[in-house]
Amino acid sequence: MSGSHIAIDIGGTFTDIVVQKPSDGQIYIRKVPTSPEEIAETIVNAVQDAIGPSMTCTQLMHGTTAGMNALLQRKGAKVALVTTEGFRDIYLMGRGNRPDMYNLFYQKPEPLVRRRDIFEVRERIGPDGKVEVPLEMRDLEAVAERIEEASYEAVAICFLHAYANPTHEVAASDYLRDRLHRVAISRSSSVAPVWREYERTSTTVLDAYIQPELRRYLSDLDVRLLDGDLCDDLFIMQSSGGLMSSDRAKNVAITTVMSGPAGGAVGATALARQLGHGNFLCVDMGGTSFDMSLVVDGKAATVTESSMEELPLLLPMIEIHSIGAGGGSIAWMEAGGLRVGPQSAGAYPGPACYARGGTEPTVTDASVVLGRIDLGSFAGGSVTLHPERAHESMERLGAELELTPTELAEGICEVVNNRMAGAIRAITVGRGVDPRDFWLVAFGGAGPMHAAFIADELDISTVVVPRHPGAFSAWGMLNAELRRDFVRSFQRIVDPSGTQEVSSALSELKEEAADAVSAEYEACNTITFLPFLDMRYVGQEHSLTLQIDGELSSDPDLLRDLFHESHLTRYGHNNRAEVVEVINLRMAVLGQLLKLPEVGKSTGRKDDPTPDRARMIFDRSEADVFVYSRQSLRPTDTVVGPSAVKEPSCTTIIPPGWTAAVDAVGDLVLQRNRKVTVPVHPDADETNEVRQ
Amino acid sequence: MNSAPHGHPNQTTDVDPVTVEVLRNSFVAVAEEMNSTLIRSSYTPVIYEARDCSVGLYNDKPEVLGQAAGLPLFLGNLEAAITATTDKFGRDHYREGDVYILNDSYIVGTHLGDITILSPIFFRGELVGFAATRAHWIDIGAKDRVLPVDSTEIFQEGLRLGPTCLMREGEFVQDVVDIVALNSRFRRSILGDAHAQIAACRIGERRYQDLLEKYGLETVWAATGEIFAQSERLDREVVSAIPDGEYFAEGHLDNDGQSDEPVRVRVKVAVDGSNMRIDLAGSQEQVAGCVNCGLAQAVAACRVGYKLVINPQASVTGGTFRALSVDAPTGSMFNAQEPAACQFYFTPLGLLIDLIVKALAEVLPDHTAAAHYGDSMMLYLIGRDFLHLDGHMGGWGAGIDNDGETALINVTLGDLRNFPVELVESKFPVHFKRYAIRDDSGGPGRTRGGLGTVRDIEVRADDVVLSLWFERAKTPGWGLFDAGDGTPPEVVVHVAGEEPQSLLKVNALPFPRGSTTSARSGGGGGYGSPWERPIERVQEDVLEGFVSRRAAARDYGVVFKADSDEVDLNATERERTTLRKGVR
Repeated sequence: MSGSHIAIDIGGTFTDIVVQKPSDGQIYIRKVPTSPEEIAETIVNAVQDAIGPSMTCTQLMHGTTAGMNALLQRKGAKVALVTTEGFRDIYLMGRGNRPDMYNLFYQKPEPLVRRRDIFEVRERIGPDGKVEVPLEMRDLEAVAERIEEASYEAVAICFLHAYANPTHEVAASDYLRDRLHRVAISRSSSVAPVWREYERTSTTVLDAYIQPELRRYLSDLDVRLLDGDLCDDLFIMQSSGGLMSSDRAKNVAITTVMSGPAGGAVGATALARQLGHGNFLCVDMGGTSFDMSLVVDGKAATVTESSMEELPLLLPMIEIHSIGAGGGSIAWMEAGGLRVGPQSAGAYPGPACYARGGTEPTVTDASVVLGRIDLGSFAGGSVTLHPERAHESMERLGAELELTPTELAEGICEVVNNRMAGAIRAITVGRGVDPRDFWLVAFGGAGPMHAAFIADELDISTVVVPRHPGAFSAWGMLNAELRRDFVRSFQRIVDPSGTQEVSSALSELKEEAADAVSAEYEACNTITFLPFLDMRYVGQEHSLTLQIDGELSSDPDLLRDLFHESHLTRYGHNNRAEVVEVINLRMAVLGQLLKLPEVGKSTGRKDDPTPDRARMIFDRSEADVFVYSRQSLRPTDTVVGPSAVKEPSCTTIIPPGWTAAVDAVGDLVLQRNRKVTVPVHPDADETNEVRQ
Repeated sequence: MNSAPHGHPNQTTDVDPVTVEVLRNSFVAVAEEMNSTLIRSSYTPVIYEARDCSVGLYNDKPEVLGQAAGLPLFLGNLEAAITATTDKFGRDHYREGDVYILNDSYIVGTHLGDITILSPIFFRGELVGFAATRAHWIDIGAKDRVLPVDSTEIFQEGLRLGPTCLMREGEFVQDVVDIVALNSRFRRSILGDAHAQIAACRIGERRYQDLLEKYGLETVWAATGEIFAQSERLDREVVSAIPDGEYFAEGHLDNDGQSDEPVRVRVKVAVDGSNMRIDLAGSQEQVAGCVNCGLAQAVAACRVGYKLVINPQASVTGGTFRALSVDAPTGSMFNAQEPAACQFYFTPLGLLIDLIVKALAEVLPDHTAAAHYGDSMMLYLIGRDFLHLDGHMGGWGAGIDNDGETALINVTLGDLRNFPVELVESKFPVHFKRYAIRDDSGGPGRTRGGLGTVRDIEVRADDVVLSLWFERAKTPGWGLFDAGDGTPPEVVVHVAGEEPQSLLKVNALPFPRGSTTSARSGGGGGYGSPWERPIERVQEDVLEGFVSRRAAARDYGVVFKADSDEVDLNATERERTTLRKGVR
């Protein structure tokens, strides 16, 4: 008989645990404090707790922060970097740009290796993959000696044009692996086999930097969970939004860096399937940041290039944008004007209402003053709030700005909501999509409180607060599939002979991929291959990654059409006269794990929900509103705004003009009442026309 | 330039601080949205990848409400283009749906390749503002296929447009479109970019109209007045803290590209209460070579220099530069008149910006830095079927607490990224032998100047010519407060079959297969006495190879034990004492 399915997402403050039991198919949520030193311990305890004695967990899905923390705290491995002779400074120089353009003192991100940790060897591959200078093994011997002497824990190898021909990198890595023991080796042609040497080197160095720590962590977990027979299979969430086995994770450490946040977007794709709506804007508002991701046509928007701590990464990842706006954002006065953020009070000293020494008014204090936070259940009851402190903080700043405490509180929310809406607009416009075609899905501690207001700003009519907003990322992981991405650099013009070659190379790649995943995907009931091509107009630096079906790749006309159309959508124009080329082949292999059917709550109820009453402020005036407990709501219930729905992880605010309904599985779906549509777009039709 | 403080005539409404802040953020968001639209829709990599563009939303005065810039030099000078357009046609001429185009260097300040496209914004029949964009077009019909480095009058630099109506009430003025198209070698691309700029203007118009609809004209104007007042207060506070007085700095360009005579740039910064005046009198008269610029661009450069020092983190609004005024005598290289050539208008501006910072260094030592390597340092390889142009990164000046950064793009280019070796080798018949940090090139100081770079390449095609535009050999990145200068740039050109030679500027030199260049960019200046640099930091630089042992002893007085990574403390003490005395 099958055991429980469990997903665990490690957050900075709390660890979220989602358990689905085979007996009733229902989902159970737990939250425990994260203790950074004992994460493995926490997980084992949580699993034992969830399954009870003499039971097992069939699948454990895990969003790990081990890799990311090693980077954030700069506690990764001592890495040696091996490069082509003449190019050892590539990693230190970077691309030379200054994102902070009026800063005289701009400093590049702190590199993860020093210059004296970088070693050159004689070898050279040309842009066409031809060997121009053979690999000099004597140089490699000398490097191996230095690595041994100085006890490096990891080696990153990145040679010029290795994406076009990996033989030198493979030979170097084989040699070093034989020669050196207990040293982790990362080579660029395996980690990120695509062009642009600085970005590829950075990706490879990052992989080497976090690999030893991630291995230690995962091996420890393996021993405790698998050997302890607590768990049959341990899966790790990747930044791409897919799962992988923990064994594989040990060899591709870098793919785990955005493990946790990716869960949110995956959760939204699961919601998209359930709700039958393809386009979601996912907003996760916590204490210090506001993170946004997109689901378009049911698929999470991904990027193949991003950065961590300003260090570039060439990897398929869920596209996540962040701005510094959260519950802890501080309101202050500058030159006589009101400002909110980017400074945050964080958890310590925290907002004024935490009474931990913070006295400056924050967004959370504003929500308290407006009556929008349920004092008893904030952060699951773990923080006791002091509303009088929030009031005092508003009074002090309000006096300077000639605003009453409630005017200031509502103003702070207005400013922060407007900024979040502006950030969303810039992202959607940049992608060529219209926010009005999207539903907002809100999660994280503060998201559901602000979502309807943000939606108003964007003229979005529907907001979904999923059934487990406080553990949505973990719930997303529970619903994720296995995924592995293969990429091969393969440059061909899109013409009859080029596409012929592309097509057969894709078939080869598919076979390779099928072989490579066979052991890892043993438990999957279906395996899907998704081919992608990176294409561009000849002469462009960047490309579009387009999903294609197998047949398409051999038909130059169809392939070109697909590219022209996609280019039009993404960039607003195309040029059918220009030559199109393929530069990379990609193959994503998805493995569907056996899932337990999720059972919704029954519509029947023992008693009517008896809401609490609270005084809240909307639009400068006080209202007497009902506050429902989420637990008490049943499918088909509706809640008319102004009102609120509280639960341990957050409070959902339903402002005047909005109505919330509970769907069959328990999601709260907020809709703006038709007649009170707020921002007026008299020229809405014209807008659509121009945007095409 | 009209920068006197003034309120809007209709400013009567009282507006609350929340609405002011919401609108302040919204104006920036509108500009960001215009920028996203322009970048998304542009045709040429110079815009969508190099971000050689900028956009702004203006009120009807015109004063900037919000702006987003790809290049620092485009900071706050789009209003000069709007003013010139209004001066020419008159306010009453504007109709809803109009679009105007111009690029005249003497009006907009930049070279002719930078095209400004702007549109008036109406609300309920009233002119309420402008949306403006500037983007670099790939070709506007100059005498050569790339930016000519040897032009001597503007007529060689391409099609020149004063304020011109491109679209009237939503309809293209076809004659103008035809003239522009017929004068470009790449008409499809530039017309595509024109469409992208118009799309960005349209977004700006609509979003501004949305805000007016939502908040009302009176409220928006009142809030605008308050937003400007806040920016102004913020700046005046910092300027007031600077002791009143006149502060000077002077430097030289190597030459104007025509002769080998140095070209003088002279800056006087006068602070009087909360006002700052930058006077460029004493700078060279306009020169024969193409390093002149229109007044608007000199003003923009002065604003960049000012902004680097005064509240660099604050967003730019119509109130930001009210504390600043700029004078440049008519007919000087910074206020050039027809027919002065302007192609490399940015070269003196990099120096000008460094000099403004230098002039203020003695009174604002912790807000200023030593000079950086100075210019874009361009190398062009032009073959029968390809064109490769590349800028070079170099060292930046040290600040009071930080070493200057190594290998960064110059001040006028902002967020521009250099080209990867793998990309260049894949696209062009160019082979890289080495790309590295240039050791020992940072100016010695208590904090050290950043280091330049070395790029060694070989050409692997026939019938190629080489052009170079390297600068700041005569006025390299200077140090501040007893620190040393950065090493000046050097380019070793080895034409196959000839002796190697050092060249910094050259036009269309035949460059046969197998010829090589070694382009070494300059370092930044140091800050403070080198012998006060902590010994362990010098040691660290030596271990990293950024400073040689010889230079450590010569410049910093830090002596190493023979065949060891350890410092000889006694010898170091003796050396440092000598160095100290040598200066006194």
